[in-house]
Amino acid sequence: MYRISAISGLFLLSASLFGQGGSLGAFTNSGDVGNPAIKGAAEFNPTSGEYKITGAGANMWAKQDQFQYVWREMQGNFAVSATVRFVGTGADHRKAGIVVRQSLDADATYADVVMHGNGMPGLQWRSRQGEDTNTFDPPFEGPGTFKIKLVRNGVKVYLYTAREGAELKEIAHTEVSFRNPVLVGIGVCSHQADAATTAIFSNVSVEALETPPPPPAKK
Amino acid sequence: MKGATEFDAAGKQYKVTGSGTDIWARADQFHYLWREMSGNFSVTVGAKFLTEGIGHRKAVVMLRQSLDTDSPFVHLAIHGDGTPAIQFRNSKGDTTNTVDFPVEGPGTWKLKLVRQGTTITVWIAKNGGPLRELGHTIYQIGNPLLVGLGVSSHSQQAVNTVLFSDVVIEPLPAAQAR
Repeated sequence: MYRISAISGLFLLSASLFGQGGSLGAFTNSGDVGNPAIKGAAEFNPTSGEYKITGAGANMWAKQDQFQYVWREMQGNFAVSATVRFVGTGADHRKAGIVVRQSLDADATYADVVMHGNGMPGLQWRSRQGEDTNTFDPPFEGPGTFKIKLVRNGVKVYLYTAREGAELKEIAHTEVSFRNPVLVGIGVCSHQADAATTAIFSNVSVEALETPPPPPAKK
Repeated sequence: MKGATEFDAAGKQYKVTGSGTDIWARADQFHYLWREMSGNFSVTVGAKFLTEGIGHRKAVVMLRQSLDTDSPFVHLAIHGDGTPAIQFRNSKGDTTNTVDFPVEGPGTWKLKLVRQGTTITVWIAKNGGPLRELGHTIYQIGNPLLVGLGVSSHSQQAVNTVLFSDVVIEPLPAAQAR
């Protein structure tokens, strides 16, 4: 099982604005990032292991993010995987994915592995707080149910994806420098300020990976 | 160390020899062969390393704002060890972003980069196989820009030579709004 590291005073201050009641499975907290006009919600069903996440928000893009986030704090290297599908219709570029953030600030440094509503996977990142988002999108075929996986290994952040039933495949990795601890979670954004969208995450796994010790100090 | 370019008009091939620490972080060192272009276009080229060297030596198809060492750029790179990558510097003096694909091992490559508005899409083929789309990124770069081929040895102490063949640069119609 996981051990959650001591929560800092600053984190408590942020967390007090966010829901902390009830069990969120592999995660500890949920709430909206970036104050979207329509409030989101997150439910975890311990029997099925499914998370039903409803999120609104203009986008997670450019210099500001708005989305519903379910997260926990982690250190070091880790792998997060999930099966994700959207419920109902929505914007082509609505997003459901695995999100690593430095903080809950709307313009925080982040990296994510997302599935868009039209079936386009994305590896997206903001290298430093307040900067524009960068993106890489591999070729895609159309909507469906997908397996997605994000691996953090030092500064490297890997995108894996596959259609449900196919073998998860490494697509690419980028490099993003985070300080420890980071927030690790799953999130949903409708890509529309005036509508929410819902996605179901199942088979969610959060695994700490071996983290090599830091290199010895240079003489 | 100095680089050089030789053009073989009969074979329509360029031998580009480049040195330099890298095309990375906030400053680039490499040999560049370029022309000015505006608007949308496609660049397709064969690329083969003719010399051994460091695994991360690079042969690239590049779009570059200027010849400044810290200029904004986006490129499709094939590394000597067969790692394809899309790399870019968003603004002058900024650090370089990378998207690295799984290592494919050394080979003979075909590289294709298409600019359609802010969408940069890349393809690759190995050893005569079909071109495979790797994906796209979104990249803002003003017109005109410098389109070209580059080589960096990833070492101040080395030079590497890459044979670029079958170079095709085609203008494309304006992209539809995204």
